[in-house]
Amino acid sequence: MIRNLRKSRFPMLMITPSLVVIAFIVIFPLLFSLYASFTPYYLLKPNTLFNFVGFKNYLNLFRDKYFWQAFFRTILFLAVVVNLELFMGLAVALLIQRIVKGSRIIRTVLMIPMMFAPVLVGFKFKFLLNDNIGLVNNFLQLFGVTRVIPWLIDKKLSLLSIMGAEIWTSTPLMAIILLAGLLSLPNDPFEAARVDGASNFQMFRYITWPLLSPFVYIALAIRSLDVARAYDIVRIMTGGGPARRTELLWTYIYRKGIVDARFGIASAMSYIAIIISILFTYFFFRQLIKARVVQ
Amino acid sequence: MRKGTILLLVLVLLLSFVLLFNGGKKEEAVEKKVMEISEFGDYSGITLNCKFIGGAMYEPLYERIPIWEESTGAKVVILSKKNHFDIDREMKQDIAAGTVDWDVGTNHSSFAPSYGNTFINLYDYVPKDTFAPFLERAIDNCTVQGKLVQIPRHGDVSNLYFIKSIFKDEENKRKFKAQYGYELKPPETYDQYKDMAIFFTNPPDFYGTVYVGKDEAVCGRFYEILIANGGRLFDDNWYPIFNSKEGIKSLQWFIDLYEAKAVPPGVLNYLWGDTGMGFASGTIGLNMDWAGWSAFFNDPENSKIAGDVDFVRAPKGDAGLRSGWAGWHSFSVTANSKNKEAAISFLLFLTNYDSQMSEARTGLLPSRAKVWDDIVAELESKGNDFMAKVFQTWKLSMAEDAFTPPLIPEWPEFTNILFPELQAAIVGDKTAKQALDEATKVADQLMRDAGYY
Repeated sequence: MIRNLRKSRFPMLMITPSLVVIAFIVIFPLLFSLYASFTPYYLLKPNTLFNFVGFKNYLNLFRDKYFWQAFFRTILFLAVVVNLELFMGLAVALLIQRIVKGSRIIRTVLMIPMMFAPVLVGFKFKFLLNDNIGLVNNFLQLFGVTRVIPWLIDKKLSLLSIMGAEIWTSTPLMAIILLAGLLSLPNDPFEAARVDGASNFQMFRYITWPLLSPFVYIALAIRSLDVARAYDIVRIMTGGGPARRTELLWTYIYRKGIVDARFGIASAMSYIAIIISILFTYFFFRQLIKARVVQ
Repeated sequence: MRKGTILLLVLVLLLSFVLLFNGGKKEEAVEKKVMEISEFGDYSGITLNCKFIGGAMYEPLYERIPIWEESTGAKVVILSKKNHFDIDREMKQDIAAGTVDWDVGTNHSSFAPSYGNTFINLYDYVPKDTFAPFLERAIDNCTVQGKLVQIPRHGDVSNLYFIKSIFKDEENKRKFKAQYGYELKPPETYDQYKDMAIFFTNPPDFYGTVYVGKDEAVCGRFYEILIANGGRLFDDNWYPIFNSKEGIKSLQWFIDLYEAKAVPPGVLNYLWGDTGMGFASGTIGLNMDWAGWSAFFNDPENSKIAGDVDFVRAPKGDAGLRSGWAGWHSFSVTANSKNKEAAISFLLFLTNYDSQMSEARTGLLPSRAKVWDDIVAELESKGNDFMAKVFQTWKLSMAEDAFTPPLIPEWPEFTNILFPELQAAIVGDKTAKQALDEATKVADQLMRDAGYY
């Protein structure tokens, strides 16, 4: 009967609609943008899509210093944001784990920043850090700071401000994942360690951290993928400026692909950008597998 | 089974390609016929799909649309209403996807050249004298390579607003004369403008002036000062030449104000809304802006400087020319529209005498010559001398100072090359010369790739 079913075209017909949907929303855009990356596709001249230029876009990118600045700035952004989120998320998770009364309420409150759309977070921080009417500068004036701090303009502060917004909105996610990990850890090793007289730090270093590491790597992989394609918050807060000081890969790709309508070169950039995501994901999953083997 | 699945996948992909490219198939050519089109014909049963510019200044006109619908029997559907930069992006995506399946779109003289043949040449459908009541300069600015692709709605050129009381203050007058050696009065040149902005500055409570600091906006400001100083963006063969001494002096004007802290420190993130609201807050002394803000600045409900605001024509540069970066907001009919006659009728209604008078009452600069005179007479009869003076001053600017940016398809992309370099010089990452040399080099490649030389 099963053999008959296999031979039947009925199951194939049944999955055809989903295949069509998948082809349209996943496979086709991927193949299309890959093809477009080998053309000088200019949105305002649709016929340029049929002008195959081989690897010209990719070769041009290797000479585009602004692309590489954005590329390495994105890696810096990713490294700082994800590490700080891990550090702070872990600290928050460890603190909440110890709370006995009201932990449910605290967990709910903790998740509030995650409930905001990134665009809203961008607007909120842009307003808070505004040089003229921003709350932060006005608050600092109460303490005698007479200089207006250009948070979103200054060479160092502008990228740090965006990092702050990103960290504020996503640290709770890190904390929730790690808290789930902490709550699932077995009690026995901790009790044994306590009997042996281990200090809190020793218990964290030799028991909590190794047992928690699979959760850490999963959280890092998720956040790395997220941060590597940071766009919304940056676009709203600074638009990648001023003077390209906060330009990240995806704001640059947007500028080329949508504003300048140069979709061909923007597609090539996107494929190079994906390399970052793949590398980070590969690294963290390797670490995850190692951690599980050790356990 | 496995072979069958692969075959099915291949078929699905092929189907996707066929559907995509079929979707982009162009409409059949519609016969062009020049004829008289009335603002109020009979277009019963016709639905016009539109994409319009949105925002407080632009909305009152759309409230008149039901008048046209009732009179013609047609229906107007507004598919999209966004600021012009977002509408521009949406249009580019429509053009690329072959989905320009709507009838009427907002347009702008600076952007129109980049849309190619998306919009019809109105001269192919209506006699040229239909546009005789419009300002000749407006029609010229809306013409791309001999084709009138848009009907001008209202114009845009900047003049210099200032707070009256700071210029009347005797102490200010005395100190300024002692420091700079000439009288304190509304500036006639950009050099004086800079002196006065620096003189009035008392950060963080008060800034001498403000300017738009990013995107096309800062490029436009730089461009108009460059022209006023006797420079040019491109030579006659379209080679970029703005890294000239005039270009460097023009950019230095922005740098000097920034370094002297005569503008708010966040200015490089500012666009029109920020500069206008900043001036209305009473914390900025001088502000170059368009006439659309005038009523707002003088309205006690919205502005702290109401009753204390005045304006003069834009300052002059070294060449003795006033700056006058100008453009026209406009409407166009798409080449794909199946209801071109109704669409043209609709646009003639949106830009007719009554529509323009209603827009002028809010401070927008009309494109019909008669409206300029009639709105001044109406305002004077109502005792609104401030707004009457707005139209008299801006009329002179439109007639004598206004000029558009180069009307080439590459203008938006060119501004994306230029503005980060202007910003880099303003914040001190580069000198004015380094920044302009770099922008010139990249712009040269853009023009070369576009086939200008």
